[in-house]
Amino acid sequence: MFYIHHTSCISAQQTFAGIDINTLQETVNNRLQVTEPIYEGIPSGILRRMGRAIRMGVGAALQVLKNNDAVVDGIIIGTANGGMEDCIKFLNQIIDYDEGMLTPTNFVQSTTNAIAAQIGLLSGNKAYNTTHVHRGLAFENALIDANMLLQEDRNAHYLVGGVDEISAYNYNIECLGGWYKKEPLAARDLYQSGTSGSLAGEGAALFFVNRNKTNARAAVTGIHILHTTGEGVVASQLQLFLDKYVPVGEQIDLLLSGDNGDIRLQKYYDACEHVLRHRTSVARFKHMMGEYPSVSAGALWLACYILKEQFLPVHMMKSTTLPSSYNRILIYNSYKGSQHSFMLVEKNEI
Amino acid sequence: MSRILVTGMGAISAIGNSVAENRAALIEGKCGIGPLEGFPTRYGSLLPFGEIKLNNEVLKNKLQAHEPGLTRTTLLALHAFQEAVADAGLTHQQLHSFDTALVGASTVGGMCLTDELYQDANNKKNGSAYLSSYDCASVTLHLQERFAMNGIINTFNTACSSSANAILYGARLIKNGLAERAIVGGVDSLAKFTINGFNALHILSSQKCAPFDEHRSGLNLGEGAAFLVLEKEKSVPEKKAYAALSGYCNANDAFHASSLSDEGDGPYLAMKGALARAGILAADISFINAHGTGTENNDISESKAMLRLFEKMPAFASTKSNTGHTLGAAGAIEAVYSILNLANQEVYPSLNFREPIASTRLQPVQTYAKMPLQQVMSNSFGFGGNCTSLIFSSC
Repeated sequence: MFYIHHTSCISAQQTFAGIDINTLQETVNNRLQVTEPIYEGIPSGILRRMGRAIRMGVGAALQVLKNNDAVVDGIIIGTANGGMEDCIKFLNQIIDYDEGMLTPTNFVQSTTNAIAAQIGLLSGNKAYNTTHVHRGLAFENALIDANMLLQEDRNAHYLVGGVDEISAYNYNIECLGGWYKKEPLAARDLYQSGTSGSLAGEGAALFFVNRNKTNARAAVTGIHILHTTGEGVVASQLQLFLDKYVPVGEQIDLLLSGDNGDIRLQKYYDACEHVLRHRTSVARFKHMMGEYPSVSAGALWLACYILKEQFLPVHMMKSTTLPSSYNRILIYNSYKGSQHSFMLVEKNEI
Repeated sequence: MSRILVTGMGAISAIGNSVAENRAALIEGKCGIGPLEGFPTRYGSLLPFGEIKLNNEVLKNKLQAHEPGLTRTTLLALHAFQEAVADAGLTHQQLHSFDTALVGASTVGGMCLTDELYQDANNKKNGSAYLSSYDCASVTLHLQERFAMNGIINTFNTACSSSANAILYGARLIKNGLAERAIVGGVDSLAKFTINGFNALHILSSQKCAPFDEHRSGLNLGEGAAFLVLEKEKSVPEKKAYAALSGYCNANDAFHASSLSDEGDGPYLAMKGALARAGILAADISFINAHGTGTENNDISESKAMLRLFEKMPAFASTKSNTGHTLGAAGAIEAVYSILNLANQEVYPSLNFREPIASTRLQPVQTYAKMPLQQVMSNSFGFGGNCTSLIFSSC
């Protein structure tokens, strides 16, 4: 269990500067793509060389760090692919120029650990620095790492986040794999499509976390990851998770469901809703952020926002009835039906 | 707190297909670095590589692994994983158990299939069998699926320190009660992608690498995999164990995207932090398996960091001169070598060393020797300033 103090999120929605999640930003060519903000604190010469994922990650990180006097004791990033665009740009050069003399910039920018490394470099931070790349659970593993570090040193502070980008290339690979919708689709129609695949997304969400309850934005009271394709296993694991982390007699006010409009994955989300026995209101977020491996970081940002503002936009609502207040939110996400996670987020001072 | 023991090991590299073969080769001072035969690249005959001379078909048959979409990286990982699990005597039930964690690491993942990835990334039709095999996690996810593992599963990529971080993470999962045992390690296979990347940085040597030599001219890329089985001493009091993982530290150099600072701040902090974690003094270290890539930058930076920390330099060597630099596998392979140092009370020679670096005068071990060893340090430093040191102790 730990507390979230500061948050920052760059997504396809207005989550960064001048936050407005009530107005839904629409898809462009089936992509929920980030309109990048003006980045503060990154020298222009360095910014120019950075790939998109690194810019988003570093930009969001510096926003969080500027709110804090405390130097963080570590930088922990979850990203499945890091700088994919640079990676394939370099790959294309290898093939197109038949392994001729190449410039190393794209290669250096493409290493998955470059986001955490650049944050460390720009903030002069020589402490713990790591990158979790476990595909759809990269961010959750980063959170588990932060949670353990805060058990090991209760006075420490960490910067933890999830970042992934849409590149033309991974978009192509995921399309070939059947993970994105073939038909043109508006964001608001995602859950009615009745077809396989989802909308492509990207983003960066960063969090300043520690064990200090005072002035905290929210508390993360439980995290669990599992690998299975069985919806029954997901349901039974969720029940165990609830038994462990939700006090007897108390309830979850909102399920923030990772439903991504892929008809093949519906069974997992239905199974979780069934476990909660319709006592919990349900909201969805992938029509806002799209589908990408570390999107659960964006979901955690939304949960923190909902807990603080006590406000849920109508376009996120699945249930027709809503709770009188938001105190405890469960995020359930499935990545491609084989990697699943539960995160329990609570308002400070329930 | 109960100690974390290493109860099983598996390794495959250019100098051997098992831990025993690797040890025999290290004793002999065998070098596995030479011309590349496995796939066509313009640099195959121009630069030397630490290649494992088992092609993918041989590996697939040996491992009985014929599922579609398996990459060489996954096959090498599977090879080392199976050896480690068998060595530790883990049962199928233990592998399925919710308290068995798997922590993998890789930098190239399935991108060893550079040409296939090029096709899949750029063509709109006819995806290959490898669509979900390119990322680093694909390796770990295959092991998870193949052995129906249910515990915490994770994958790291911190460049050349990746598998050292996987190892320390496994220990922390156990200490925090999130796992009873952890199978930890890493893998990388040779790839056009990394060959061209490192070549563009001008740090590949056309000679066999000469770590810590005044006239060193760069590194040689290698491939390999290694896994360790970590268990809590209290839970396996009767079990044979090679060593204890007693210290570890991850620190960042925060200096440059692809080179280390002159004074080696990151390496210094990682080594110092590992000593603190182990609760020992610098003088207690009997031997260091250095990162020692053979590049101009790494070896001077690491040397200076070691000299800052150690009043009296312990014996040290770099096995990169045997295996080449296996990137995401290096931390785990060299952890195995460090444990072999301890378990057999012996040190292996660093190869190709002739003349010490003028400003440091450090000389690595150059001949095989029996030596009393209590604490062995293993260093792994990577791009992005990601530095990790591990300390293994005699049981």
